[in-house]
Amino acid sequence: MVRGDAKPILENIEVEVDRIRELNRNAFTNILLMQKHDKHIHLRSSLSCLTLLSVLVGRYLRRGGDNTNRDWLVLSKGHAAPALYAILAEMGSIPRAELSKINGIDSMLQNHTELSVPGVDFASGSLAQGISFAIGIAAWIKRVGGSGRVFVVLGDGEQDEGQVWEAITHAVALNLDNLIVLVDMNGRQLDGKTDEVKPKHYIPFVWKAVGWRVLWADGGDVVSLIMALEEALESDKPVVIFAQTHHIDVAFGVEHVGNAH
Amino acid sequence: MSATLIDTSSFRDVFGELLVEIGKEAGEVVVVTADVGKSTRAYKFGELFRDRYFNVGISEQHMVSFAAGLASVGAIPIVTAFASFMMRAWEQIRNSVARMNLNVKIVATHAGYSDHADGASHQMLEDIALMRVLPNMSVFVPADVYDLRRCFKRLVLDVRGPVYMRLGRDYSPHITRDLDYECELGKAQVLREGHDVAIMGSGVVLHEALIAAEELEEMGISAAVVNILFAKPLDVETIVRIARKTGRVVTVEEHMVYGGVGGAVAEVLAQTYPVPMKILGSTSFGRSAKSQKELIEYFNLGRRSIVKACLELVGHGNR
Repeated sequence: MVRGDAKPILENIEVEVDRIRELNRNAFTNILLMQKHDKHIHLRSSLSCLTLLSVLVGRYLRRGGDNTNRDWLVLSKGHAAPALYAILAEMGSIPRAELSKINGIDSMLQNHTELSVPGVDFASGSLAQGISFAIGIAAWIKRVGGSGRVFVVLGDGEQDEGQVWEAITHAVALNLDNLIVLVDMNGRQLDGKTDEVKPKHYIPFVWKAVGWRVLWADGGDVVSLIMALEEALESDKPVVIFAQTHHIDVAFGVEHVGNAH
Repeated sequence: MSATLIDTSSFRDVFGELLVEIGKEAGEVVVVTADVGKSTRAYKFGELFRDRYFNVGISEQHMVSFAAGLASVGAIPIVTAFASFMMRAWEQIRNSVARMNLNVKIVATHAGYSDHADGASHQMLEDIALMRVLPNMSVFVPADVYDLRRCFKRLVLDVRGPVYMRLGRDYSPHITRDLDYECELGKAQVLREGHDVAIMGSGVVLHEALIAAEELEEMGISAAVVNILFAKPLDVETIVRIARKTGRVVTVEEHMVYGGVGGAVAEVLAQTYPVPMKILGSTSFGRSAKSQKELIEYFNLGRRSIVKACLELVGHGNR
């Protein structure tokens, strides 16, 4: 199904890509700043999904309008909260000065998101609940005929949770065409490489078999993500974009990042 | 007070009727269930309001987080499943619902010993403790279907924020049918005045408490009976007032003795007006039986156990 007229996607695309890249670079600097002030932030998981979030927030997320006519962003892999804060500071949603206070006793920025932070749609920290939550939002928007779209950022390790299975099968049953999931395929979970903890190479095929439209992207590349998202927005069923991000810490030049827990 | 009459009204049948009523009244009310639409009577809502009825399949964890999403965007979801399996989603209730203080109404049916035939797996005796401990959560335990009728619409439409409603399956003896009171969040009701001992409790076992009070009266002991409709927020004022008057408190509930209504009453009295107490409840998992009433007696929550506990307190107190 083609929605609306042939949008001039490529018009001013270089300017747009440059703008998002700059947002991404500045957000990266913000994450390093937060890490300087608090070693407990989840650095690797924040970096691996940073470009996904920069593209989503920088180009797609429409925040105006009432609850059913605006877009929602659910960071299901909540330990990447610093990545979201880094971008929200760039967008002017939260004061830049808050960043260095992260995890402080009087700071609004918690290590996992809370609703009290402007620009945060979901209180995260417990894996897999975000995708179910997002499906609830998308279901009600669809029922009332709202124009809001729901974007979810999910981890690859997160998919060990059984609730993801419960959720993705339901999304297809509801035929949610206003739901887009981006999977941050960074190849890591808390105890090590995802393949060593529990292999996950079959996961995209599970989503496909269940009835999702499955797309792929280079999660560190702004252009690749834009192409995938433009295609996803045309879909008449729920879409998942598997974004390869295992190389991202190398790309940002911060190899051998340890765990925060 | 016709305490000895047994009503044929069933908790789940009344719940189904109330869903239909509220569905007609409020377009933002939606019902979410996990393949127990028939057993909970939620299907009655689904028959009339197909586009506001979500059966998510056998997926309690997803059901709760999904409902949280519905609530965050403006719907008023009523989530319903058996109490036992609702607790499978305890952590979802904690993190997706209570932590965001979302307007989700959780209706847990088949609580206590009400699913008498299905035995230990289905007999939820820990839920009051598990729900009471959560910040932002209110916990409603109706004594009978009349309490449910009084409170349901008010708790769904007038109270913003999460509420846990603990219902039995069918058995609902007359306890409050002839009483005239308005439902108010956090308000307990004195079912019977007395000055020697107070029996405080929640749910259908209050039927046993009322009969116990009559038997005690024949022995010359005046027993008050208090219906604690809300395990949270607790009616501290009424509990302390009655404890001051009677000087002795027996609590009774179809729930573990740990962390339930008895525990809640003890927490309050220990810190304000300590009196001798006995907490009647379960100390083990349940089992299969022919009726809920049989289980209530078997697990020492019946009239005889209540009378015995009251006599022990009266004998040892400073009467």
